[in-house]
Amino acid sequence: MKLAVISCIHGNAEALDAVLADIDTQRAEEIYCLGDLVGYGPYPNEVVEKIRSLAIPSCQGCWDEDIVDGLNACECSYPSQLAEYRGRLAHEWTDREIHPEVREYLATLPLTLKKDNLCFVHGSPNSQHEYLLPSMDGFAALERVLSADADVLFCGHTHVPYERKLENAALSVKVGTAESGDRAQQLQEQQFQVPLKRVINAGSVGEPRHGRPNATYVIYNTDTAEVTFREVTYNYEKTCQAIVEKGLPPIFAWRLAKGMEFAERADDPSHVCER
Amino acid sequence: MKWAILSGIEGNLTAYEAVLKDLRQLRQPVTELYILGDVIGLSGNNLKNNNLQDDSLQNDNEAVIRRLRHPGVGQLKPQVCVGWWEEQCFSLHGLSGLPDAPELMAAVGGDGVKALWDSVSRKSVQWLRSQHFGFYELDCLLIHGSMASYADELTPETPAIELCDRLIRADANHLFCGRSGRTFECWVNPNQLHSTVTTLDGPQPTQDQSKTPRRIVGVGSVGRTPGQATYTLYSPGSNQLSFRTVNYGQAKKGKAKGFGFP
Repeated sequence: MKLAVISCIHGNAEALDAVLADIDTQRAEEIYCLGDLVGYGPYPNEVVEKIRSLAIPSCQGCWDEDIVDGLNACECSYPSQLAEYRGRLAHEWTDREIHPEVREYLATLPLTLKKDNLCFVHGSPNSQHEYLLPSMDGFAALERVLSADADVLFCGHTHVPYERKLENAALSVKVGTAESGDRAQQLQEQQFQVPLKRVINAGSVGEPRHGRPNATYVIYNTDTAEVTFREVTYNYEKTCQAIVEKGLPPIFAWRLAKGMEFAERADDPSHVCER
Repeated sequence: MKWAILSGIEGNLTAYEAVLKDLRQLRQPVTELYILGDVIGLSGNNLKNNNLQDDSLQNDNEAVIRRLRHPGVGQLKPQVCVGWWEEQCFSLHGLSGLPDAPELMAAVGGDGVKALWDSVSRKSVQWLRSQHFGFYELDCLLIHGSMASYADELTPETPAIELCDRLIRADANHLFCGRSGRTFECWVNPNQLHSTVTTLDGPQPTQDQSKTPRRIVGVGSVGRTPGQATYTLYSPGSNQLSFRTVNYGQAKKGKAKGFGFP
């Protein structure tokens, strides 16, 4: 069975429509969404209404959370000071525009979705704010998959799609305890083998950062474990124009047209906010 | 160089004094004294019996804080980081975390919340707030829980991959922690991992990953178990680790016991 996994739509209705049309051509039987339905883009209400009307299961992203709870995270909500300054402007605009029922819907979104051996999250199983970059330590990435009790962990948040296979992992642990005044036990060694696990990042529908303005998402075949990255062209200039016309910071139009933004690169991608 | 690493006094001044006495009796003097949080608390185990009013608790958070701040002439000045109980206190006082300390309420109930509130002054809370989150010394991280959270409770039963993750986050060869209150050491050896990343540009070369063994040490608890304090001695130069158990009060049966790992 083919699944389509989409993420980080960010109020870009034009891109969402193009991706949904492309999913039809791929004959995917189910669609999962990894959150960040709103923020940055000019059509947050329309995007949420579309996702709801199609009954697409969705996780709550960090932007969705901020619209529900307010900007009460520590500085880790944004990967840099420049991104924070710009992000606040977008948050305030979205907070004003969002319909009450849309906010209520975002509040109901789960942090994690599961289907058999697949787990779907926005950032990581730890937090919507954690970035699982492809350069992350392999054992740390493996821990994220295992902590989700899954074989395949789908994530978004970085806006750049990738698949990471983690194979033939082996660990050993020597444990010694000295409890209740007893003499220390000898160190006892245990070996652990971990079968193949995968991290699959779905990219971004509405705010891509892979260097081109096209929307990205992934198709996953549950029978063959085949991953297909999809890059979909659409009329991004129309979205850019709407960003400017609706009073959002013009930088968001610029970077949507370029498909990149240096200010969005995280200094400490593994930082986990504790509110 | 020899470190004494303590955690979990939990307001039990008698236990702390017993450990200080044990330290003074060591043949090789301790050069640094670390306390990995939970200097305040409600004498842990007794809470399970809802025995908050029992005089035998000898709980005196203010006295412990005074002792830490003013160790006395010729005595080591402890280096203190914050633990779970301190974080609950900050939450109660609106200094960090969620308001109304829901973690604390779930753990000890309304009576426990009131007991903690009543037993630590605002001035002491401010002092606790000024303490460290953890210490990086040489190739060691000394911390209450882990870099994931102050509430992270690492034990010998924690899954191996989780221990490995905490060591990666620590970015240190030895992670000393106190959250569990237990004394243990775990050497974690990530032997091998093949990692292949595929992007829009195609598959990248497979990377083989392995790491040198690293260690997590549970340093014990000074005040949680009435009558028995445990703590850790560590010599960075020789990498020698030993755990000490100090019996005190009515539970005292003899001298402190120590046992080391090669």
